Amino acid sequence: MTAYFVRRVLLIIPTFIGITLLVFTITRFVPGGPVERMLAQMQAMGGEGGSSGGGSSSGSDVGSNALSPDQIKELEAYYGFDKPVFISYVLWLKKVVSLDLGTSTRYSEPVWDTIKERFPVSTFYGISTLILVYLICIPLGIIKAIKHNSIVDNLSSIFVFIGYAIPNYVVGIAVIYLFASYFEFFPMGGFVGDEFEDLSTWEQFKDLLHHAVLPLISYVAGSFAVMTILMKNSMMDNLAADYVRTAMAKGLSFNRAVVRHAMRNSLIPIATSFGNNISVLISGSFLIEFIFNIDGMGLLGYESIVERDYPIVMGILVISSILFMVGNILSDICVAIVDPRVQFK
Amino acid sequence: MQLSPLALKQIKRFKSIKRGYYSFIAICVLVALTLIAELLINSRALFVSYEGNWYFPTYGSVISGKTFGLNYDYETNYRDLQEVLKKEGKGTVIMPLVPYNPLENDFREGIYPPSAPSSKEKHYLGTDSTGRDVVARLFYGFRIAIFFSLLLLVCNYTIGVSVGSAMGFLGGRFDMIMQRIIEIWSNIPFLYVVIIVASIITPNIFTLMGIMLFFGWMAMTWQMRTTTYKERSREYVMAAKSLGASRRRIIFNHILPNSIFIIVSFIPFSISGGIVALTSLDYLGFGLPAPTPSWGELLRQGTNNLEAGWIVSSVVVFMIIILVMVTFIGEAVREAFDPKKHTTYE
Repeated sequence: MTAYFVRRVLLIIPTFIGITLLVFTITRFVPGGPVERMLAQMQAMGGEGGSSGGGSSSGSDVGSNALSPDQIKELEAYYGFDKPVFISYVLWLKKVVSLDLGTSTRYSEPVWDTIKERFPVSTFYGISTLILVYLICIPLGIIKAIKHNSIVDNLSSIFVFIGYAIPNYVVGIAVIYLFASYFEFFPMGGFVGDEFEDLSTWEQFKDLLHHAVLPLISYVAGSFAVMTILMKNSMMDNLAADYVRTAMAKGLSFNRAVVRHAMRNSLIPIATSFGNNISVLISGSFLIEFIFNIDGMGLLGYESIVERDYPIVMGILVISSILFMVGNILSDICVAIVDPRVQFK
Repeated sequence: MQLSPLALKQIKRFKSIKRGYYSFIAICVLVALTLIAELLINSRALFVSYEGNWYFPTYGSVISGKTFGLNYDYETNYRDLQEVLKKEGKGTVIMPLVPYNPLENDFREGIYPPSAPSSKEKHYLGTDSTGRDVVARLFYGFRIAIFFSLLLLVCNYTIGVSVGSAMGFLGGRFDMIMQRIIEIWSNIPFLYVVIIVASIITPNIFTLMGIMLFFGWMAMTWQMRTTTYKERSREYVMAAKSLGASRRRIIFNHILPNSIFIIVSFIPFSISGGIVALTSLDYLGFGLPAPTPSWGELLRQGTNNLEAGWIVSSVVVFMIIILVMVTFIGEAVREAFDPKKHTTYE
């Protein structure tokens, strides 16, 4: 078993290199990279403002038009665009291994700092969604299984089906229209209100919650359906299993049979995805953050792609792919812990 | 084609699941209707009789206004023609149910789009922010989305089934290498790359499909690999092998028919997946080019004009109805192929 997990951990390395190499190559071959973008901006700003942009400090005697070829070369060298793809990839990888993700071309500050600033926002939503989903799904799945085909089961199925069929950002659009625009119960977006700084701690907390209700609804809507169905199905399998029948034949009450026997076994399928929860750190869906204008990881990723801020794109990719792969392994470990019958070879 | 008794039984079971069966019929009818969308929702008339001559302008070339005694050369505005002929009594015009096409801007004096639903103007769900009819855009958008998904599904499944069963059947080094490739591929954030690529080349429907195919073939491949892998070690394959069946015969005559249920039960979910992916890209503005009717573009307009609530609500409601129906079909198909008989306690 240990050998299996050691091998899995070692396999992260080639997969990681594969993913980053592929995206790195894509970012290199698409036109409109950061240098070209900067040139376009300078042209737009005209001659006067030209010298303030980016890494060129050699004045703007070339006039309002673009920089001289030498200066462009200098810029390209500054961003490492002058070398062949593979060499600059190796250089980039070397820096990543020494935990340096480079400098953002848009903010001119270290990528790690930019990403770190967004952690609290994404983690807040990630963890709250996680807790809410487990709090709703496990009890709901159990109730639906026990009361199969009852009114409760069928009514909740409507929500489960809608949640399953509709992407979470459409739920976001629907609730923002209903509860923020039409009824005006909640703010239209943002993480906190404008006057957040001036509020007392209690009011800050209230303000935060007030802003969080609608995004949380859409996050939860996206993931509660699958989990509830999973819980219900595995609960029904276990309720029909012989060992529950035996337990009841020996005189155990139905409730005790459910709680003591069926429920514990039904949690196993839920555990198969438990390890992936470490991705909550950066789990912001950029569509939801885009709709609610929340300044989290998702929006950062989206903006940096649109603005061709490749160091940040790569930085987010590094963090998310490592977390994802580690999460997969953790999930397997969780399964092995809750179900001793599982053997990994 | 002779269906096996098992297949007949599965079809019967599918029909017995009412929710899924009725959704299936409804979706089929809707898709069939999209094929004749020009007859239902169009700015061209279905039928014009003018001075004894009959015209059917729906399909075919542009008929100039002069034909009907109007004072312009460009295409006839049949809505106006209807009024004119009614007044003069020279002929009749029969318009489709919704007399607007998805691309035309219906500007009226003194009214600034978006305008609210009105059955008098025959804008049953109102107009969008440039005065285009919402019903027309929804319906034509649905046509594009559903056929996009279907075509994408065919391509995905062709690759998935052939590569997947090759991996499962051949095993060995080929399987190992492909496994690694799939692992890398599926870890690439799909939407990221699509956005990167789509922001450079303005995609048309085929480049967009190419990109989606490039990142979407793994799921089916993986499923087929697992299925073939399982089937390969079953007795009937061994029996076929010992009788001297060729590799090709084993794959095509024995393994594939037995794994067809995997393919079928994934179809509805792939269709809704395709629709959702296309809509998300259109919503962000990285999808189909500008005037193409699409749900994503309508959603975007709706969120930008929340005070014009009819746009958002009609798209969201229509999307919920279609996607929930597709999910019902998927659930019914799955149940028909894999009936789980549960014991329930009273």
